[in-house]
Amino acid sequence: MSDNNATIELKEITKEFKSTKVIDQLNLKIAAGEFLVLLGPSGCGKSTTLRMIAGLESVSNGEVLIDGDDLNNKANDGHTIAMVFQDYALYPNMTVYQNLEYALKVHKVPKDERSLRLESILETLNLTKYKDRLPSELSGGQKQRVALGRGMAKKSKIFLLDEPLSNIDVQLREKARDEIQNLHDRNKQTIVYVTHDQLEAMALGDRIAVMNDGIIQMVDTPDNIYKNPTNLFVAKFIGTPQINILDVKYQDGYLLIANQRVVRVKQTANIEPNDYLLGIRPEHIKLSKESDEDLSIPAVVTKIVDYGRFTQLTLELDEKYTIKAVTKDINCNIGDTLYVRIEEQTSIIFDKDSQKNIYWDRV
Amino acid sequence: MNSKKNVLWHLPLIIIGLVALLPVVFMISNSFKTLQESYQSILNLIPTKPTIDNYTTLNHQVNLIRLIWNTFFMATIVTLGKLLTGLLAAYAFRYFQFKHKSFIYLLFVATIFVPFTIVMIPNYLVIAKLNLLNSVIGVALPQLCDATGIMIFLKTMEKIPSSLFDSLKIDDIPNRRIFFNIVLPILRPSIISVGAMFFINSWNEYVWPTLILKDKGSFTLPLALQNYISSEGGTNFPLAMALSSIMIVLPLIIYLIFQRYILNSISNSGLK
Repeated sequence: MSDNNATIELKEITKEFKSTKVIDQLNLKIAAGEFLVLLGPSGCGKSTTLRMIAGLESVSNGEVLIDGDDLNNKANDGHTIAMVFQDYALYPNMTVYQNLEYALKVHKVPKDERSLRLESILETLNLTKYKDRLPSELSGGQKQRVALGRGMAKKSKIFLLDEPLSNIDVQLREKARDEIQNLHDRNKQTIVYVTHDQLEAMALGDRIAVMNDGIIQMVDTPDNIYKNPTNLFVAKFIGTPQINILDVKYQDGYLLIANQRVVRVKQTANIEPNDYLLGIRPEHIKLSKESDEDLSIPAVVTKIVDYGRFTQLTLELDEKYTIKAVTKDINCNIGDTLYVRIEEQTSIIFDKDSQKNIYWDRV
Repeated sequence: MNSKKNVLWHLPLIIIGLVALLPVVFMISNSFKTLQESYQSILNLIPTKPTIDNYTTLNHQVNLIRLIWNTFFMATIVTLGKLLTGLLAAYAFRYFQFKHKSFIYLLFVATIFVPFTIVMIPNYLVIAKLNLLNSVIGVALPQLCDATGIMIFLKTMEKIPSSLFDSLKIDDIPNRRIFFNIVLPILRPSIISVGAMFFINSWNEYVWPTLILKDKGSFTLPLALQNYISSEGGTNFPLAMALSSIMIVLPLIIYLIFQRYILNSISNSGLK
């Protein structure tokens, strides 16, 4: 426990809206000073979870603990939590400076302290020039910075951000992302950040909690989530282009696609002769023009998109599967036949019924 | 093409405007005629021998300052009362969650459709029991709350995004401050336009004040006007027109000052 951050613990949280379960028995521990990203498609309950941490939404069942104390017992001093909203929620009748100052004024922070704090925030966020403007006279990016500044001004232990970048231009987004990152590096507040943008999540989070249907599917570092997703949903949600999913059969130590051996499985502990789903990231697919390996299978190129940095190929495999591959150094034309090779190391095997990664504990 | 279309559109508007203006011009011009002239050529728009005698006579017959003050006082109390109760009620409906909220709101709105004739007698009895007959307070009291205001203010407040209220809640801003520092400034244009509407309505009100006010000293302008056009008071037409002309001055000034807000109406709340 420290002065500028706090731990958050969600214990068996359930949230119902008129008998519809939005959040189901959610458990989550967020360490002091951690940057946690709640990631998921729209309607997955991530914003509701954030609003429950903020105390804006009541909890149907379970507990929200801040520094070990129940949220409802917390003294309402306005200093524990700050939140930035998707639509910024700036006070339209106040100038930028007044917007930042308002909560401090109401909570009787001395004037000197106030102006000292605000000057430095305006400076860092490049807003000094605009401090006397009304929100209606600002661009989206500037509004977003004001909203961020208003959250910073409170020096709260916990900083909640609800899709703060989704309303600003793509070009500005990366810059804003850096600002948030710097802010966290400097102040070490506990940050919970909600987004549906997986790139944002990967770039910002110490850890990411991937949510779907009101359930946290996986909480881990961005790297682990990418390389070793617990289930099919997480695998598909993270990564562009999307992971390739192929129907495979396991037999005699090999994975088979259409009766052709493609991957030799050495770790056989969790696998038995059956049908599985094989997940393979586009950049992990090895392509060659000649069939020099015994496990490679032919595929026909149907689409080529050149992104400059890399080339994305769409291939048709066995006239049944369409797969995407990312490559840098292969010259080919539509209609060419390439040989696809998949390595055991980079392949992720999912159970067909439960859709769980059967090598979840592999890493 | 475009300007042609404009002309076509403006023509009927000009005609309607002239028709609407005619009674006002008629009223003002007759207020400067002698009684004789007004009988002889009532439709003449420009008096042959303009005179301000009607105004001076009025000034001798009634206490104009007193009349204007009475009317102004009553209209101000009613307007402030309606604004305050309307804003507070709308804020409660917007900000708080409570049981049967939409039903209660419906009841409020339903009162708009209750005709005045139905509440007139019960209201009169209550005011009489309270010993408030013959006083401006007695006129104002039953009118301090008006569901029209609640409805319009609530509609405007609904345009304030919920996140704004959420943000204030997280910052632990007390309700009193949210109401005065945030909600009222945002609603300023709609408060002004609704307020002007309330004021003018109340300024012109006739039936209810007639029931309550009996003493000439507490009369409002519409009641005094009645004296000049009723059968009992005899009909001195130019005098009545002179009093009517005095009566429209204040509403006109209010309209001219606030017309920008009234025209912008309630839709423009200063958000976004």
